[in-house]
Amino acid sequence: MSTAEKQEQKTTVLTRRDFMTLLIGSGTSFVLAATLAQPLDNLLTPGIRETLSSDGHYAGDSPYRWGMVIDLSKCVGCDYCVYACQAVNDTNEDMRWNIRETDETATGNVFHVTRPCLHCNNAPCVSVCPVKATYQRADGLVVMDYDRCIGCRYCQTACPYGARTFNWAERTDENPQVPDFGRPEVERRARGVVEKCTFCIHRIDAGLENGLMPGVDADATPACVNICPVTARYFGNLKDPNSEVSRIIAETPTLRLREDLGTDPNVYYIPAEGMAL
Amino acid sequence: MTTSTLSQPTHSTQPQRLNWLYWLWILLLGGVFAVGIATGVYVLQNGLQVTNLTDQLPWGLWITVDLSAIALGAGAFTLSAAVYVFRLKQYEAIARAAVLVGLLGYTSAMLALFLDIGRPDRFYHPIIYWNVHSVLWEITMCVILYSTVLIIELLPLVIESTPLRRIGWLTSLAHGIHRLMPFAALLGMGLSLLHQSSLGATYGILTARPVWYSPSAPVLFILSAMAAGASLTMFVTLLSSIITRRQLVPPNILRGVTIFIAFTVLAYLYLKIWSWAATNYYSQVPEQQLGLEILRANTPYNYTFWFGEVLFGALIPAVLLLWPRLRQNPRIVMVATFMIIVGVVINRWNMTLSGFVVPLDWLPGERSLPPNTYVPNLVEYLVAAGIVAYSWLFFSLGVRFINLYPESKPLDNGDAIIIN
Repeated sequence: MSTAEKQEQKTTVLTRRDFMTLLIGSGTSFVLAATLAQPLDNLLTPGIRETLSSDGHYAGDSPYRWGMVIDLSKCVGCDYCVYACQAVNDTNEDMRWNIRETDETATGNVFHVTRPCLHCNNAPCVSVCPVKATYQRADGLVVMDYDRCIGCRYCQTACPYGARTFNWAERTDENPQVPDFGRPEVERRARGVVEKCTFCIHRIDAGLENGLMPGVDADATPACVNICPVTARYFGNLKDPNSEVSRIIAETPTLRLREDLGTDPNVYYIPAEGMAL
Repeated sequence: MTTSTLSQPTHSTQPQRLNWLYWLWILLLGGVFAVGIATGVYVLQNGLQVTNLTDQLPWGLWITVDLSAIALGAGAFTLSAAVYVFRLKQYEAIARAAVLVGLLGYTSAMLALFLDIGRPDRFYHPIIYWNVHSVLWEITMCVILYSTVLIIELLPLVIESTPLRRIGWLTSLAHGIHRLMPFAALLGMGLSLLHQSSLGATYGILTARPVWYSPSAPVLFILSAMAAGASLTMFVTLLSSIITRRQLVPPNILRGVTIFIAFTVLAYLYLKIWSWAATNYYSQVPEQQLGLEILRANTPYNYTFWFGEVLFGALIPAVLLLWPRLRQNPRIVMVATFMIIVGVVINRWNMTLSGFVVPLDWLPGERSLPPNTYVPNLVEYLVAAGIVAYSWLFFSLGVRFINLYPESKPLDNGDAIIIN
């Protein structure tokens, strides 16, 4: 009995007043934290990420929205775009950013689908990243900060297109596509981070600085687009109604992969022959 | 060397013959834990290439360990909330053990995650780089904060039951913390309700994976965690009671927890059946149907779901625990709670694997990608075993050296532990 009484004295319980105080207190601190999160993030990461909004998109405006058109009716499945990407972005054989799959229409017509990252405007990989290592720039590019990625692989889990690869091992391999299909233009990524297609962001940014137009001037255009022997890939500014990509999309019926998911990709496909839209 | 700790009133009457068995058990667990640590170091040195994970199936056994450990640690928040928020003070008799189980569960999860992320050196990034739109960010923050709460809740107990109590300022710290307990319990309840559900949302929000995509996933996760967390606390308490031959927790408290588990598991079962029926029986979601067909053809998913998760994981244990005659038998309660624990672990494994096995469907034509496969390798099993051994090891030490059960009494009614 005496121990039970002692217990009675020792155990403090929560009164209604405490509860209300806590409720209001925690509510206020939550609002405060949510308000401070953005400025705090900006304070910690100066530079290019300054205008990043709370959901990982650039708040600022850009005259560009980079997009690609891939013509499934033209593609012959030569894999040149796959190899050029592998050489220029120096990816591992097993973790290519741009891949090709063989597919078939309802009428049995076999065709080839090549798939870079689709640079979705509502990219699931951007919203699930716990540290905003993946973000979308104002020009539409979905890119990564490899120095921030913790390697949790939730983006791989969330991407509907399987467009992400993980560095399972330290890279020591020799790139078999170099020099036949190009030379590495970017650094290899470290072990333990996820990586993805950037639409050759380094070419776009450097090209614009030098007065070149991506999609028009080869030096400012993604490697996969330049190399295509049958011109099945087009690249350009979707915000400019006179760009080649905009004109194709306006004049030709196109489709985007899994539009039902609401990801709003910036890569458009011209259907293969015999393919229902 | 630990005579002072052994002179705790709780343990003075422990039969001597158990001593060597106890230390053998500790040694065994310590050995498995050590192997786990060595394997973990090997993983840190060589990276995740030493696992069987792939880009198509990037989460596996360790994520299952992590999800299960967090679910099984949920007894801490339910029982602490019972004591301090809902004023059921008598549940203090079992709440301390629940808090230790909780802390061990959460630290196990953090160990698993530390190895599972590609860059363990950046484990702190979610704390400084916030993406408030990510459920995984919310989970990370909640788990870190809640583990802190658990440490605070356990600290006074550790100080008071070990030689640390001779250090003056530590004792006053322990007294100070005692007064914070209600706040810690309330904070713990809030944080737990948040992240336990968000773990389900981690899968439930992914529209690209039809087998996962489900608004009921977050609620199923919290309900199953509440049932499994209390079950584990109950199971280890009864097991310790049998081994130490003591009524560690008063009979009426044991009954209360048993009934709580039974009703929670029923609520879980109810929602589980409805969320299955709504999408598979009364209506048909084509993509989900296709996904389940792939799972049926390639994995034992169908059997593990119906037998592992539903029948043996929820329905039968609920009946065992609600049947008054049966639930008075501690061995039957142990069997029932063990079934619930296994059922929830199977659920977490199925949940993780099912969404990945079904391939993504982004090809525009008629063909589809092949299903993905995964079987954990030895490295993954050794690390998982090490983590489980870690939690058992420290619980075994806790039962002996910390005053975990404040109302523990020697058995006076023959040899039977009473649940009434």
